[in-house]
Amino acid sequence: MKRYGLWLLLGMLVSLPASAEHAAVNREAFAQPLPGLDDDLQRERFFHGRSLFRQAWVVAPSRDEAVDGLGPLYNRISCIACHPKNGRGQAPASDHEPLRTLLVRLSRPGRDAHGGPLPHPAYGDQLNESAIPGVAGEGRAHVRWQEQFVTLADGERIGLRSPRLSFSELNYGPLDNVHTSMRVGSPVFGLGLLEAIEASTLQALADAPKPDGVKGRVNQVWSVERQRLEAGRFGLKSNQPDLRQQIASALHGDLGITSPLYPEQNCTSMQQDCRQAVSGGAPELDALQLGDLHFYLAHLAPPPRRGLDNPEVQRGERLFNEAGCAQCHRPRLTTGQHPLYPLLSARQIEPYSDLLLHDMGPGLADGRDDYLASGREWRTAPLWGLGLIERINPGAGYLHDGRARTLEEAVLWHGGEAQVARERFKALVADDRRALRAFLQSL
Amino acid sequence: MCRSKAWLLALLLGAASVQAAAPQPVVVLTSYPEEMMTRFEEAFERANPGYRLQILWRQGFDALPYLRQADQGGVDVYWAPSPGNFKRLARDAGWQPLGVDLDGLPPRIGAIALRDRAARYQATELAGYGFAINPVELAKLNMPAPRDWPDLLDARLRGRIALPDPARVGFAPVLLDIVLQAYGWDKGWALWSELAGQSRLVSRGGTLVSDEVASGRSAVGVSIDFFVASAVSNGEAVEFIYPAHGGLNPAHIAIPRQARQVEGARAFVRFVLSSEGQRLLADPDIRKLPVRPSVYADLPAGYHDPFAAARQGAYAYTDDRSRERLALITSLFEQWLGQPHERLGALWARVHAGEAQGRDLTAVREFLSVPPIDEEQAMSAPLLALFAQRQDQGMQRQSASDQDALGREEIAWQFHSARQQAQAERLLAAMGL
Repeated sequence: MKRYGLWLLLGMLVSLPASAEHAAVNREAFAQPLPGLDDDLQRERFFHGRSLFRQAWVVAPSRDEAVDGLGPLYNRISCIACHPKNGRGQAPASDHEPLRTLLVRLSRPGRDAHGGPLPHPAYGDQLNESAIPGVAGEGRAHVRWQEQFVTLADGERIGLRSPRLSFSELNYGPLDNVHTSMRVGSPVFGLGLLEAIEASTLQALADAPKPDGVKGRVNQVWSVERQRLEAGRFGLKSNQPDLRQQIASALHGDLGITSPLYPEQNCTSMQQDCRQAVSGGAPELDALQLGDLHFYLAHLAPPPRRGLDNPEVQRGERLFNEAGCAQCHRPRLTTGQHPLYPLLSARQIEPYSDLLLHDMGPGLADGRDDYLASGREWRTAPLWGLGLIERINPGAGYLHDGRARTLEEAVLWHGGEAQVARERFKALVADDRRALRAFLQSL
Repeated sequence: MCRSKAWLLALLLGAASVQAAAPQPVVVLTSYPEEMMTRFEEAFERANPGYRLQILWRQGFDALPYLRQADQGGVDVYWAPSPGNFKRLARDAGWQPLGVDLDGLPPRIGAIALRDRAARYQATELAGYGFAINPVELAKLNMPAPRDWPDLLDARLRGRIALPDPARVGFAPVLLDIVLQAYGWDKGWALWSELAGQSRLVSRGGTLVSDEVASGRSAVGVSIDFFVASAVSNGEAVEFIYPAHGGLNPAHIAIPRQARQVEGARAFVRFVLSSEGQRLLADPDIRKLPVRPSVYADLPAGYHDPFAAARQGAYAYTDDRSRERLALITSLFEQWLGQPHERLGALWARVHAGEAQGRDLTAVREFLSVPPIDEEQAMSAPLLALFAQRQDQGMQRQSASDQDALGREEIAWQFHSARQQAQAERLLAAMGL
């Protein structure tokens, strides 16, 4: 950024509210609009987007034309189903339970025309367990857990469960030679602020030297609207360039809803009933609806931090920094100019993420390349709101597939570039681990 | 792909398919929100591992034609707060006997039947109508919580009430009817005119009314209890008041005559009506009123018990005779009060200002308060038949058209409204107000 540009940005930062957070810490804490969204028309748009996010979609044809077009293949019938109360989903406890808020990505070795994963020829890029009447669902996935134990320096043993995936009731032939990757629904607040971070900021973060073998890089992913490769920032592997595409892609993949970005039904060439099913419109989600959904998700505020005066929280924060966690879970970032919404621009935010890809080691690897992201790389998960998950989404798991039942388990799964930080965590005494936990619970 | 990645091979192998005995699908058509259905789906499948629910979602107006298809859409269970649909499908012989034990489930509450005489459908839960309040905002206005409908006309609440628009919000037509039954046609409509004139009309219901009240933009919102109770249990600063003249909306469950998975359907009906299923209704994200009185003893303190309230005389409102006129009174509200809402609000403001000066504005009030038709006209069979068709088609909002009889009625009501308001305006102007 040129020097005068920096001064301009600093000047704006001074004139804006200090915090992009709201005040609520109740079970609706992930559903609050950003402070400053006061205008009646803006609030109306926010609530309209919220209705769409909570909307159960309907099988076409229907008199409810604005919201018909579910499927033909789908996972759940609404966005909120996988992001309960705008928060985290959870993995099934056993192989007898359905996936519900967890989905399975599928791909074959290789890349598509834009460098993304190569979909399975019969099942596409995601297992859709459900289908509308007259169309067969793709099949069922089952998760079985295997437990292993890690012993900390003070002798405490912590169990870590890793998933084993299997399939049944496959309706479109064998699912062989396939890469799979399980994902639980992620929190959806603060996304507009992350969207407003300039690509140059991400690149600068990647380029900056870091200790402990930490690197970090920016994914380069295909923009459907702009027809070019751009910095990735959304999705667990930063495989979406912006929030609109993230929303449209999720609606297409999870609910089977077509949109201006994904106008074709989510049927493969081998799914004839799916291809012949009645459509809910062309597209099913129109540009106005996509805009309202984008507006809503862009303006969902991150919840406020709590317990800042608590000495244990303060000690935990020091330990977090000393362990090296903050190298990737960057406490503070500054947004640039959001292309659509000025309220999101030039803000100091505390996402506790650098939005970069990092090698997380073999334990978390899914073996699935996604543009520049390798099978071992994941985007640094933002930690804001982490401390409210237990209250808002009891039973939710942490990490990409919900395998970690506690924050301690989540830390202990870190490997690769986070190996050094994990070893420092293992060396902490119980009292320090409690303090670190208190800090994480304050986010 | 890097060949040295041995773990990748393990992942590929790990994804091999396995075959397991598949649970039998039970297709449930509903209009309940995802959060509620997910709770019931999880609990039902845990208790009945041989079955798997497939949820089809349709609003009430959309569900009726779906269930009237040749194969009734392949639906095994219909479960929804749409009493009219259950009655209509019963008339069409669209249900089969429920075939489950209804012991412990009263057939009535107050004036409302909880199942039909042949037990082809049964209420599963109740929702109560009333007022969402923001205690902090009311304290600022120095006024107590409203206890009944006329309290909403308190001058301190002018401009501070969120009123769901009956033409746009699914649960609101019954609100109109509760007041009309409680106070009679003339007094009831006079109350609605003045209340509408001093309220913000909210075009989407449910949580939007709670949001308006929780945010303090409105001090009171007319609503249905579970939206507000859920907001309360999620920590929002709102409360719910059941008015002295309240009303209940039952949701029912039924098994279509052509259901394919009858045993699975019965298993689901049994589960919903069981103590376990009924207790699920108290989940913080659901908060509805069970129809099994015995479970109230297990619910959180302060949980509204409509059976206890009914024993003390509440819930005299009956949906038996007025259910058929909901589309008519909804349209009457829209043509007379809803469409000219801005003008109506301005006129009522002038009336209130004049009365604050001690002026007698009885004549002006008359112009604003008398509905386009009287109760006898509203009970005429041909008129009700016209609107019954709309009710059958799901109360969908349509523009009035002079090409059909119903539209011509609506246009006449609009004209009545315009004429009466013009008269009121002239009178006010003549009085210098």
